[in-house]
Amino acid sequence: MNKTMIRFFTIFDYEEEENWLREQHKKGWKLIKMKLCFYVFEKCTLEDVIYRLDYKNNTENSSYYQMFQDYGWEYISQWFGWLYFRKPLANAEQDTEIFSDNISRLDMLRHIYMTRMLPLLIIFLCCVLPNFFIFLKPEHPYDMILTVMFSVLLLLYIGLLTYCGIKLQKLRKKYRKD
Amino acid sequence: MDSKLKRIYVPMTESGFYILFCLHEPQHGYGISQQVRHMTNGELIISAGTMYGTLSKMEKDGLISFVKETEKRKLYQITATGKEILELELHRIERLYKNSKGEIIHE
Repeated sequence: MNKTMIRFFTIFDYEEEENWLREQHKKGWKLIKMKLCFYVFEKCTLEDVIYRLDYKNNTENSSYYQMFQDYGWEYISQWFGWLYFRKPLANAEQDTEIFSDNISRLDMLRHIYMTRMLPLLIIFLCCVLPNFFIFLKPEHPYDMILTVMFSVLLLLYIGLLTYCGIKLQKLRKKYRKD
Repeated sequence: MDSKLKRIYVPMTESGFYILFCLHEPQHGYGISQQVRHMTNGELIISAGTMYGTLSKMEKDGLISFVKETEKRKLYQITATGKEILELELHRIERLYKNSKGEIIHE
């Protein structure tokens, strides 16, 4: 039996996503695949299984999967540069992480920032914002509707970027501290 | 040797040091991690993502080179540049150790 759940995690919520997937597995639902914000689960026996996400953005080579398999990580699925792995806690032998030092965690953060957040920021500053100011001078009354729609989108965009920025700083601080 | 490499790799992370040290013999990622676990009595664990990232970086910087692929596993070995870096790092660690015991270095 399968079920699909909808959840939205931003690019810097991967730790929350890992915990959520672990909780689902504890309740007897194991992840089969995910796309955008749709998670497909299959009924399974209740078990404590650790989930980990790696961000490679297609920079991984053929030996990458073999190495993770050697380490006991089962590859599940990938979407948009993110790779999903899991390992039962019972056979983890103290190796429950995919990164054992903060330098590699910070490397991943930098990689996500450069390839995901920076393009969004550039689009925002070069396209969304200038376009918004053009829309601000309505010539037809019916341009007003577009202006309102655009304002809502702009607010959503700003909200999301702010959230991601704060989250990124929090993660950076956390990884630098310990 | 490139002074940029020296700046990046000396001092080295503990994982970096052990990975480079183990590659005096051709070895693949998981093999290295097992060897390190054994050598350090389980005190140092190098996880999959860290291992993969470090190997990729060291290969790009010319500290190690790809030897061959067996059963989808990439085997690497230390290069002359890698040995030079390791030597510098060993020298640094030796100095730390000697100084901590109250010894003064005379060159």
